[in-house]
Amino acid sequence: MAAQKLPARAEVWSKMAAYEKRRAAAAPVPAGGSGLPEPGRAAPGGGGPTEGSAAEGSAAEFLLRAGVTAMVREALLKVLEARPAEPVSFLAEYFERLVLAEAAAEPPGPPQRLARALWYVCLAHHSHRTAFDSNAGAAYEVLGCGGRRRAAGVDGRLYSELLRRICQRGAAPAEAAAELLRRVRCRDHEAVPFDVFRYGVLTCCVLLEFAAKADALFAVLGAGDSADSRLCQAVLRALEDALGAGHGPRPGRYLEAGSRLGPDRLALAMDQALQERKLGSSMSREEFLRKATALFIAKVKPVE
Amino acid sequence: MLSPERLSLPGPEYLAQRHVLTYMEDAVSQLLENREDVSQYGIARFFTEYFNSVQQGTHILFREFSFVQATPHNRASFLRTFWRCFRTVGKNGDLLTAQEYHCLLQLLCPDFPMELTQKAARIVLMDDAMDCLMSFSDFLFAFQIQFYYSEFLESVAAIYQDLLAGKNPNTVIVPTSSSGQHRQRQPPNDCNPLEGVEASLFYQCLESLCDRSKYSCPPSALVKEMLSSVQRMTFYGFLMALAKDQGINRALGALPDKGDLFLDPAMDQEIEKLVAHVSGLSVSGPASSSADTANMPARNSPRINSPWKPLHHRRKMDAESEGSNEETDSSEN
Repeated sequence: MAAQKLPARAEVWSKMAAYEKRRAAAAPVPAGGSGLPEPGRAAPGGGGPTEGSAAEGSAAEFLLRAGVTAMVREALLKVLEARPAEPVSFLAEYFERLVLAEAAAEPPGPPQRLARALWYVCLAHHSHRTAFDSNAGAAYEVLGCGGRRRAAGVDGRLYSELLRRICQRGAAPAEAAAELLRRVRCRDHEAVPFDVFRYGVLTCCVLLEFAAKADALFAVLGAGDSADSRLCQAVLRALEDALGAGHGPRPGRYLEAGSRLGPDRLALAMDQALQERKLGSSMSREEFLRKATALFIAKVKPVE
Repeated sequence: MLSPERLSLPGPEYLAQRHVLTYMEDAVSQLLENREDVSQYGIARFFTEYFNSVQQGTHILFREFSFVQATPHNRASFLRTFWRCFRTVGKNGDLLTAQEYHCLLQLLCPDFPMELTQKAARIVLMDDAMDCLMSFSDFLFAFQIQFYYSEFLESVAAIYQDLLAGKNPNTVIVPTSSSGQHRQRQPPNDCNPLEGVEASLFYQCLESLCDRSKYSCPPSALVKEMLSSVQRMTFYGFLMALAKDQGINRALGALPDKGDLFLDPAMDQEIEKLVAHVSGLSVSGPASSSADTANMPARNSPRINSPWKPLHHRRKMDAESEGSNEETDSSEN
């Protein structure tokens, strides 16, 4: 479906094609010079490979007929979209999902659909926006296709459940997740349109990353599970300033927020905080995370 | 957590860097070799198992050498498997010759080249008395360096030669492994009263080698530490230091620390059980079942199954027949 989007992919395919040619060297079957042919095209009487029937053992033909080519292409596409750090385990999991999906012949119940949708959503990082959007689309479809008679669509209950599960995957404090869900939720029997669905899912993913970054920030500020409260306050103030920064057009706002959070500004703020000769109490990791994520949640536009 | 470099690489580069296509191609060719079985079994399931076994590192068992050495992960998996399969040799305190270690390697990889085993043995023996006996751990850690950093070591040998010959190292063009072949491995050991080359200069060359190399290199901070503590360094002295460095071993991640090499309560228990079982029947019968059932081929079972039985009768035999080569030795198994 998205095979034409990235020119880079063409090279992968030509490599695959070259590979198939190599495998098929014994039987001269042209294994699709321009991209990979669809599995159906391998049927006798198709465009090119008429000699294929003569060499019944032709590897390329077998690969096409058995659907291996299509499966491998789909898998590599997913790898390219998601760019996982550990592609081997990613692929192991990917194919395992396929096995499970193949095994479940009848329309899967809500738990399976939820699990599959969750898997789709988490395949690609949200900063890979195209991949993320296409996966969100797939998740939306999977979630909505369970009806006995027709496509049932995604209702508010399934949607909230999915969001809840996404939030469970990360380190975001429970209050933050609950508050976020309150802001983006739909009523249980309401049909959820795709743009709301995507917005909700994306926001949850961003919250998780925000929480992870805040956690990393805290690790820098303190030792173990507590940090100087003055430092934490200063950093939180800077964060709040940055998030609330500017009212101009977007790119400008991003730049301004970025500059406010630059190391020099932060260092200055922290330095000033330490100069105040107040009694240095400490702040716990939980408290810091709660305050930081609250800043983020406050910026989330509620779904009306 | 998130590596932006990974996300911004062009697709093919990302795939190459992570060896995705190596494994995908291998999976497809394995699938083709077993196509009858696979058709019934399910293709997705085949891929699942293939990638699971790659993940677990069992995919290199009994595979051809070209595949075993194809990726860093494969090399690490092979090292790990070798250690797991044959650690009883070390636990027993048996000493083996290079030839015998080579036979063990060939049990896991039939076309494993003798040259690599010999190079590893040279590290242990400092390029001297090649028919000496070596302990398992000495051989294992030297072999690890030689096998995992093969290409790096080729280049190091060439650099070392150039430094010995007094060439300006900064103009040295680091040879690829093929062009380095003809002039490596003749470091004159005692023609110079000041043995070896100057360590700091050597390090500079190695650092720039690591920067440019597309092959795995040991962490340069550790190499620096190693070379900054001495004035001069010989080639084999350097390799020996690499092999003995536990930091490098940890960074490589295939083997445990030297002290933990033979700690394996589960395996011990298993072997105790097995020995009890076997001694009830007949000792060291070749038909006895294997201990490390997951990893071991049936045919090497006599060798590891009787861990308490010293192997010196074999060694004597090998030592007596001076010209014993790998064919005769492997035919014994």
